[in-house]
Amino acid sequence: MERRDLLRAGGAFAVASMAGCSSLAETQAGGVPSVLEDRPDGVYRPTHVEGMETVDTATSGEYAVGLLYSYPHRFWNVNGDDVSLTEIDRDDAVHLMASVWDRESKTVLPETGLSAELYRDGSLVSQETIYPMLSQPMGFHYGANFGLDGDGTYDVRLSVGAMQIRRTGAFEGRFGDPATVDIPFEYSENAKAEIDFRQLEDAGTPGAVDPMSMGSLPTAVAPAESALPGTVLGSGTSNDARLVVTVLDDPPSGIDESGTYLAVSARSRYNRMVIPAMGLSATLDRDGETIADTVLERTLNPELGYHYGTVVESVASGDDLTLSVTVQPQTARHEGYETAFGGLLGGMPDLTLGL
Amino acid sequence: MFDGDLPRRTVMKAAVAIGSAGALSACLNRADGADAPTGDPDAKPSRQHAWREHVRHDDHGNTQLPAHQILIYFDIDGAGPPADDDRAGLVETLDGLDRAYEWSNDGLLHSVAYSPSYFDRFDVDPAGVSLPEPSALSPFESPTFDRQDAVLHLASDRPEVVLAADRALRGERETANGVTVPSLTDVATIDSRRTGFVGAGLPAENQDAAGVPDSRPVPEASPLFMGFTAGFRGNQATESYVTLDSGPFAGGTTKVIANIRQRLDDWYDEQSYDERVTELFSPGHAENDLVEGVGETLGADSGIDRFVDDVVADAKEYGRVGHAQKAARANRDPEGNVRLLRRHFESTDDIGSEKAVASLHFPSLQRTIAEFETVRRSMNGTDATAATPAVRQRVNNGILEYIFARRRGYFLVPPRRHRALPTPDPE
Repeated sequence: MERRDLLRAGGAFAVASMAGCSSLAETQAGGVPSVLEDRPDGVYRPTHVEGMETVDTATSGEYAVGLLYSYPHRFWNVNGDDVSLTEIDRDDAVHLMASVWDRESKTVLPETGLSAELYRDGSLVSQETIYPMLSQPMGFHYGANFGLDGDGTYDVRLSVGAMQIRRTGAFEGRFGDPATVDIPFEYSENAKAEIDFRQLEDAGTPGAVDPMSMGSLPTAVAPAESALPGTVLGSGTSNDARLVVTVLDDPPSGIDESGTYLAVSARSRYNRMVIPAMGLSATLDRDGETIADTVLERTLNPELGYHYGTVVESVASGDDLTLSVTVQPQTARHEGYETAFGGLLGGMPDLTLGL
Repeated sequence: MFDGDLPRRTVMKAAVAIGSAGALSACLNRADGADAPTGDPDAKPSRQHAWREHVRHDDHGNTQLPAHQILIYFDIDGAGPPADDDRAGLVETLDGLDRAYEWSNDGLLHSVAYSPSYFDRFDVDPAGVSLPEPSALSPFESPTFDRQDAVLHLASDRPEVVLAADRALRGERETANGVTVPSLTDVATIDSRRTGFVGAGLPAENQDAAGVPDSRPVPEASPLFMGFTAGFRGNQATESYVTLDSGPFAGGTTKVIANIRQRLDDWYDEQSYDERVTELFSPGHAENDLVEGVGETLGADSGIDRFVDDVVADAKEYGRVGHAQKAARANRDPEGNVRLLRRHFESTDDIGSEKAVASLHFPSLQRTIAEFETVRRSMNGTDATAATPAVRQRVNNGILEYIFARRRGYFLVPPRRHRALPTPDPE
């Protein structure tokens, strides 16, 4: 952590307190810096970073689920090409986050779908379908702001949906059932106020904050290029999404086709967070002729991780591969990611690689 | 509890929604001179589900379901096949209801239906009809299954009628509408009692329930919390269509009842009217401005059949698909007839707690349970989620983001002649 980045938010707390706010949540929200007017069209260092607390983890069936919380966050919701800011609501008390991973391999599982129910003394406080999100410190997770009924113990029930994207290799046939876990959440405003909150002096400059250590919780980091199976033929970026292309001689089990398997692993520039839920297509040209024009299918595989894959007849040296993002990543974005990967300003240029 | 100046109708409606005995007595004390028409057991239709010709219709011929409804789930006392005495007792109770009220929205409509667990008492499946155990029907839900022996469904436009019948059935009074009605508790134990309402005005009145945003967005004209009309005549199966046509239960039907919690904050506050039309009906409905207000311009048909083949194309073009178009594509037989007769109504029940939470009781009648399951699975839109990441398991995928199935039960509605504790193969 670089010292020049740090600026404790104590000043912001003090000013708001003098203004007469009685709620720490409001105090903290009052201290959140404004969104930068002049942001780069790409991954940038946000105005501030909030820590997070792990409430607990629980397991059910094949899944492990972690529940975390922090101050309420603003985020940008993505629906197709539409990207819109969700501001912190005055009733929001916390930002709840959930991460789902495979108990066996510790692989984080994007695209399960997730909903949360909050109860207090058996009475419903809230229930929401939770949106998938990308943040710099955590990468892919599910998150939402919630209002609470003050300090106390809440029973949080998290429902994990069955995965609907393709699973291959040792993941074939797995993660096909929904599951539910119950995690008690002891909430107090005082404990929340202890969570780290810092502003960054170099906010708005290209770059990203480091992934946050989450104890025993795995993070959604894509495999290093050198760790990808097959032969890595190249990589490039499109609006700060790094697309790494690897080919396998045969498709992994679970794909009932023969030929060369072409896989694209998408990860954020700077901190290698998995970028899921894109529409991606590929064109393969050889000697001036298109020999393949295909959609890459969202797929989860133990060795490749979450990736976009397809089977082509062959890939040869000298081929040109053009990758086109047809739908930008359909995850909400935390600050610093909202202009990247399409985002607010749109545009993920095609990437052509000479193989 | 009630202000003496409250109009009687207001008190009555509040009493069904609240459902407490205290509310009921307040209600009945005010019901002086409101005698409902009495009935003749010999003048009832042979089908328990024959409601349509006995309720109100709007100008387009759409059924207006009775405004106040109660579901009473019960278990027959003891194990094994029910005793003849119990059967005779239930006959007395149901005949009592039939004598107490005319078979109409102004009197009382009712039907009793039996679960697979009930037939397990005989170790024999019911003849001529498939009645499976309830199951989860989406990739994400895990509802609690209602496995009580039976459910008795009461419906009337008069709140005091359903409340008096309910109270007699629960043994809190001996008569209803001046007629003796032996209590259901003489032969059974009541496990769960659920209440609800439907029709313009009632959802708006009850929108302070949790699950509806504080902006009070439910229009006065809407019969349902989501702000639109449903159950158009052209999009409903007929009673004849859903009726079993052979076997000992000919004249009966099958019934699925789900309870669904509604979370409408984002439905109303995050979405525009056109987005709600898109997600409830189809993108084509929004694109062509087919819906106005609560849907009163749609007449007797939502027009959904035009858009049922567009689900995947709409997913790719609009990044959203409609609830009705996903369901309707599986809700037609090869001749184009609608398979399901939906009779859902709203509620503020939050089963298991005292809190008022917006929910929906969703009874559906169909010839086979499998037809219901096919339509419900079609609502999952898994082909749309495969076509584009913009449509997710529950987001931009019809109304799945806002509805949470909490209960589901499958039942057989016997014809009236076998309605009292039937054997699996009654004569």
